[in-house]
Amino acid sequence: MTVRSDFLPPGLLEHLGGLELVARTVVRGFQAGIHRSPLRGAGEDFAKHRDYQQGDDVRYLDWKLYARTDRLYVREFEERSNLQAYLVVDASASMDYAGAGGVSKLRYASYLAAALAHLMIGAGDAVGLAAFGAEPRLLLAPKARKGHLHDLMLNLERLRPGGTAGAADLLDRLGTSMRRGGRVILVSDLLEDDGGEALVAAAGRLSARGDEVIALRVLTPEESGDAAPDAGLFFDPEHPRREVPATPRGDAGYAPRVAAYYASLADRLRERAVEYVPVSTAEPVEQALVAWINRRRG
Amino acid sequence: MLTFGSPAFLLAGALAALVPLALHLIRRRPPSRAPLPTARFLSPDPRTSVRVGRPTDLLLLALRMLLLVLAAAAFARPVWRPAARGSATVVLLDRGAAMAGGDAWPHAVAAARQRLLALRGDALGSLVLFDSAATVIPPSRVTPALFDSLAAARPTAGSSRFAAALRAIPAAVGGLREADSLRVALVTRPRWHGWSDGLGPLRHAVWPGAIELVELPDLDAGDGEIVAENVKAKEAIYFADALDRLSYAKPALEATGWRVRLAIPSADAVLDSARLMVVRRAVPAGVAAALTRAATAGATVVVTAPAAASLRGFIPWAGAMRVDSGGGGMWLASGPHVSGTAMRVSGDAARGAAVIASWDDGRPAAAARRLGRGCVVFAATDLDRGEMTLDAEYPRLLDGLAHGCEPSDGPSSIDRDTPLDAGARAVLRGTGPRVVAARTVPGWGGGVPLGRWAMAAALLAALAETFFAYGRRRAV
Repeated sequence: MTVRSDFLPPGLLEHLGGLELVARTVVRGFQAGIHRSPLRGAGEDFAKHRDYQQGDDVRYLDWKLYARTDRLYVREFEERSNLQAYLVVDASASMDYAGAGGVSKLRYASYLAAALAHLMIGAGDAVGLAAFGAEPRLLLAPKARKGHLHDLMLNLERLRPGGTAGAADLLDRLGTSMRRGGRVILVSDLLEDDGGEALVAAAGRLSARGDEVIALRVLTPEESGDAAPDAGLFFDPEHPRREVPATPRGDAGYAPRVAAYYASLADRLRERAVEYVPVSTAEPVEQALVAWINRRRG
Repeated sequence: MLTFGSPAFLLAGALAALVPLALHLIRRRPPSRAPLPTARFLSPDPRTSVRVGRPTDLLLLALRMLLLVLAAAAFARPVWRPAARGSATVVLLDRGAAMAGGDAWPHAVAAARQRLLALRGDALGSLVLFDSAATVIPPSRVTPALFDSLAAARPTAGSSRFAAALRAIPAAVGGLREADSLRVALVTRPRWHGWSDGLGPLRHAVWPGAIELVELPDLDAGDGEIVAENVKAKEAIYFADALDRLSYAKPALEATGWRVRLAIPSADAVLDSARLMVVRRAVPAGVAAALTRAATAGATVVVTAPAAASLRGFIPWAGAMRVDSGGGGMWLASGPHVSGTAMRVSGDAARGAAVIASWDDGRPAAAARRLGRGCVVFAATDLDRGEMTLDAEYPRLLDGLAHGCEPSDGPSSIDRDTPLDAGARAVLRGTGPRVVAARTVPGWGGGVPLGRWAMAAALLAALAETFFAYGRRRAV
């Protein structure tokens, strides 16, 4: 695919400054690239009154009705969003890998998450944030307020890579805390110690209960084998003591083995109605998003 | 051409430069440790469990080897010499008055030209023109036109001093940087007047090899008479009191090269052939005229105090001429000092005469005055009496008085107009090879020393090595 001039390479995004600005920049490029928006919007409509109960937010008291009836009612609105979404970002140690001269996978994942949050909140969806690495964490509950976007960016900025936790536990927790029919976007390198069995199972469970599950797989060219490094003593950041003396560039089986792993994982995910989207950090973020959205449109 | 004063350091430097090379080749170390999240998909390669540090360290290796080689080169005292053109010649050309006779000067110029100009007119060395002083003419100015102008000119009136020519040799060879070997030729008519004290050590100091002595054809027939006369001039007549009386002066003069004949003073005894006549006793009338004639013809007449009264108008002495006993020590201007003179005559040098000897108290003891081609000397004491005759300097004193009208330097025992003898020529020629390696010649300015530049380059290499090593460490 030809890189559009609107698209900014990840290395350049790194110099833009705050993640919010990055997200806006990416979304501008994204909106210029897609054919039409696949994301639905929703109005802020009044639904009904109900009796005031202790603990209700006094901001929603209907004072005019109180004047007429001398009873306290609170106003209830229809949900701002018709979709509850969770961005699940992989912050494990392996996401700290950047390859030669590029941004780290975690940074790239943050760009993707920030851009998606910007898009979805702009469309009225409630977006929450979860991350796993040292431990699975639900960072922000889904909200559709504009001010929530700032909190999302702040939490994304604060993510630090480390740990070896898998995504399965976190996905299961989301299944218990999220309304059915929601959307879960997992941004990860999907490198699991068990070959992705637990991840596939957890994602399948979410999918089975009606959630839309999307797995954005982020990988560097060095990892995929497109720009394999030269000889060295290599180790997995999540298992630093396991050293492998090797020459990836001269290892003819390296890239096929990586590809086979992800092909197997993608097949199993698709079997469970999980959308698998491979993304390379060498690719501009907007370009990756545009390609994905247009692919979804068929 | 690059030459080295201490080439052994080069070998040491080359061996030292092999050390970092060997370390780079031999030293094995673990490969660089790098993270790769997909490391699980790698197939282990045992060959990379150790790594030979070649590719990334080539610059450092080169800098380290360069540093050692440059430092060794600096110690080896490198000298850059322009391409050697073989042998160069320094010609010392005598242009003093001695070269004026006959065809000596044209011959001398031709001899110098033959040695200094190649067939195409290129200069083969430097020319030193000398008389009492020397002028060095560098190769750039040694041209056919120079020799044409020299041949057209005449020698100077100055006396030829070999010392001046020899002292100019270092300056002359200093300009011959392109030569790998040097030779020196002296074109002259070697006469004693060119000689001076200390010439032997000077000759040895300025040139380590032999000097080619280019002797010109001697004087023509006219000059030959002078030479013959000079040879005859070694003859002396000693006018004594009696022929059978013991004379100390006669053997003393003979010790300095004179052939002395004793005679009783008379007009007939005064021979024109004698170069020296020493008058010890009063002479009869008529002898003074004969002595005057002989002196005018070129002889030197030395009159001693006892004869002063009989030759009052002839001797270069004025005053009461009162005789005092005990003369004390007597200094000759040319150097000899004798003590124990028997008597002395008061007075002073006559007008136009030069004081050539003094008493210890500074008063004049002898005077000399030119008369025609010759000389009249008066010694204010009896030269054949007293303890002075036992003094080691006595012969030199007499000889000095016999050359009273000549300059005081140089060998006094030999006539200064006569050719150098074989011994003096041998001193001038010297020993050793006639062609000398240029680098062994004192004062030779050949080559540009590069040692300090090599050391500066070594320091730069050290700085660069430090810089790159630091940068590489930071990168790692």
